[in-house]
Amino acid sequence: MTGRLRGLLKGAIGPHANDSRYLLDVHRRDLPGQDTMARYEESEEVDLCIVGAGAGGSVLAQRLARRGWRVVIIEAGPFWHPDEDWVSDEAGSHELYWTQERVIGGEDPIELGKNNSGRGVGGSMVHYAGYCPRFHPSDFETETRDGVGADWPISYRDLKAHYEEVERELPVAGQDWPWGDPHRYPFSPHPIGGAAAVLWQGAIKQGIEMRVGPVGIVNGTFGNRPHCIYRGFCLQGCKVNAKASPYVTHLPDALAHGVEIRADSMAVRVEINDANGQATGVTYVRDGERTERQQRARMVAIAGYSIETPRLLLHSTSTRFPNGLGNNEDQVGRYVMVQGATQAAGRFPDELRMYKGPPPEVSSEQFYETDESRGFARGFSIQTVSPQPIGWAEHVLADGHWGGALREYMRDYNHWSTIGVLNELLPDPENRVTLAQDSDPYGMPVARFDYSRSENDKANMAYSKEILNGILHAAGAQDILTIQRYAHLVGGARMGRTPEDSVVNSDHRIWGVPNVFVADGSVCPTQGSANPALTIMALASRLAERLASRNTG
Amino acid sequence: MAAERDLRTPRHLPNLRPGRQPPHPSWLPRQRVGTTPQMIGRYPDYDVLASADTWDPATREVVTERLREHGPLRFFTTEEEPTLRAFCDVATAQDSDPRIPVAEMVDDKLAAGRLDGYRYAGMPRDPDAWRLVLRGLDETARARYGRAGFAACDPQAREAIIGALAEGLLSGGAWDELDVSRAFSVCMRAILEAFYSHPWAWNEIGYGGPAYPLGYMRLGPLAVREPRERRGASAEDPVRAVEELQP
Ligand SMILES: Cc1cc2nc3c(=O)[nH]c(=O)nc-3n(C[C@H](O)[C@H](O)[C@H](O)COP(=O)(O)OP(=O)(O)OC[C@H]3O[C@@H](n4cnc5c(N)ncnc54)[C@H](O)[C@@H]3O)c2cc1C
Ligand code: SF4
Repeated sequence: MTGRLRGLLKGAIGPHANDSRYLLDVHRRDLPGQDTMARYEESEEVDLCIVGAGAGGSVLAQRLARRGWRVVIIEAGPFWHPDEDWVSDEAGSHELYWTQERVIGGEDPIELGKNNSGRGVGGSMVHYAGYCPRFHPSDFETETRDGVGADWPISYRDLKAHYEEVERELPVAGQDWPWGDPHRYPFSPHPIGGAAAVLWQGAIKQGIEMRVGPVGIVNGTFGNRPHCIYRGFCLQGCKVNAKASPYVTHLPDALAHGVEIRADSMAVRVEINDANGQATGVTYVRDGERTERQQRARMVAIAGYSIETPRLLLHSTSTRFPNGLGNNEDQVGRYVMVQGATQAAGRFPDELRMYKGPPPEVSSEQFYETDESRGFARGFSIQTVSPQPIGWAEHVLADGHWGGALREYMRDYNHWSTIGVLNELLPDPENRVTLAQDSDPYGMPVARFDYSRSENDKANMAYSKEILNGILHAAGAQDILTIQRYAHLVGGARMGRTPEDSVVNSDHRIWGVPNVFVADGSVCPTQGSANPALTIMALASRLAERLASRNTG
Repeated sequence: MAAERDLRTPRHLPNLRPGRQPPHPSWLPRQRVGTTPQMIGRYPDYDVLASADTWDPATREVVTERLREHGPLRFFTTEEEPTLRAFCDVATAQDSDPRIPVAEMVDDKLAAGRLDGYRYAGMPRDPDAWRLVLRGLDETARARYGRAGFAACDPQAREAIIGALAEGLLSGGAWDELDVSRAFSVCMRAILEAFYSHPWAWNEIGYGGPAYPLGYMRLGPLAVREPRERRGASAEDPVRAVEELQP
């Protein structure tokens, strides 16, 4: 298709095999089909039992259900009823997050909770910001190109068609993208607010290219999903249905094709038949019950996020896998990555009211690739963000203010605009999820996550902070407040070419087990400096294709 | 006009002032509609609650519930209560009524067992960390200032103790059972979440608040205020106001 024709067709080409957008109700936000959802007997051997109804698990379920597979998803959190359960309020959104106990350690402990993972049907994307960039082709071969990180056993080419299809399903809106593998988006860019415009001007003065988007937010007509109303509560769950999450993009179609979601159910073990080494199903505990239940399945896929997936594997011990499923080479839980996510805010003479409009607006990948003159390998991306008041208070506190000084900065909220980076921090085997001493109410040991940065990571973060300061100064900021933070966990069950240095093969299958797969961000060997959700969905989409064609290795 | 011009300058911002200290809030007028903590009027004619009838019912319920009268504390003991209140007051600079009931809101969170989803290795659970911090504040007040407890200290002493807590500079007694600066961040997390979830604080900072199903239309750069939002105001030059306050 020529570029011009594609431009004319913006918003007109829908996804090929996903009716979610038509199944949604224009006036109600409930997931259509919950009442008429298929139910499978626990004793019935379904084709696939998936742990986790998040980004990875939902796409996998939707794809395979369309091919006639009988699929059950076990989901720890609730089945949302957004009209009643979600609120246009920061503190009131506490229930969306994974707030069960976890222990954090290492030299640079990573704060979890609202910052990192969700719990409930739809997973973390229910309250993710909405940025949907692709990984760059270089991300799949950082070891070969830059001598750091790892090479994936698959390449960008393997994912490209899946990226395109998922971008149509979300749908992604943004300007034509000049970085990585240059591409266009199915929907036009959203208008941007004054707060983001100020920052963009600063970037232009610094010679930094930025583009509007890419965001998974409806801009125009998309089935029964409304246009964004620029209310700015993307991180609290979109009550409008404008922002993409599996709850609106894949689960309606999945339910329509016979998927059962068993909510309020915590998977505690994958069962292995010691005679033949095959998984027989998943053991789980329902909220309010004491006895364990078991769902039998021909295949099992784990998609519980980079903390819970390793935790579940480590807890699934058997004679063949005394140290946890897939952990005979001591690889499970290693190489967990986060992105550096420093944010800097600038003060401007006029009111900007950054709380309006979706937090994700304008971004740049100009610094994504290695540039030896910077003195470190790999790079970072730049994105506008916009904290609501509690987030802004944490930002002010991080700059060392409390009491009267904090109140003064808080009263000045409407004059500030915030920009952040995402640094590609490198994978390290010691950055690891293990089981802690304490147990949760299900009797399962809680996860402990240790994290420390390398010298390369520190150099990357220090350099990118100066770039942010440069943008803010050029934009005319009168004062700057900075918070150092982290975001986006991936890794922990990475894919590779040999069992000695990975947990799954290029088809996400756990080494040494014929029928257990990992279907979330845990499989990523590197993370680039792109937000991961789109890639997680594209990977699950590819996995579904491989499983359906039984081409799996 | 004068008011608008004042707010274009950043002279009131702590980083740009000696000792990173803010001006006394009396440089701002008194709130004229609705309520703000201590009635500080940075947006003197703005009351977010005036648009509560446009919010969806679920949100309205969650937000207006924060305005209700609170009963006695459930998690903290009567011995801990004065220290808790004094700590919350200093941390959020609430030196007079009307106050946002931060102590009650923190107590509510801990009594309900709401966790944040992580705990630093080597740190006790959040509820235990809170109790240790309150004990530590009293111990420091006794050791350094010879007072019966933190709440009995004068405002300067309280601020000095919290400053030392923020810097991680306290040791001995309860402090040795904690990582002191992490403990400060655990407490501040809960305190700030309470304070800035309260609609009175939204009035103070001029925040538009819940916006469903209404949404926002005036995103800037030309127009930034919806009809329901109000401009900020200040009648005085903060530099002069503070010079006058100083003896
Ligand atoms: C505040 C925030 C902002 C973000 N912003 C962006 C962004 O702008 N762009 C972007 O690309 N990404 C963003 N992310 C990250 C993105 O949301 C996640 O990377 C992505 O959703 C992870 O997908 P997943 O499939 O690995 O896990 P999830 O989507 O988290 O799904 C895992 C699911 O499994 C369930 N589960 C876990 N363990 C069990 C168990 N034992 N039994 C049963 N169920 C279980 C969980 O409850 C959860 O629902 C953001 C995240 C947050 C928190
Ligand atoms: S800004 Fe748009 S996408 Fe974000 S929550 Fe509001 S309506 Fe949804």
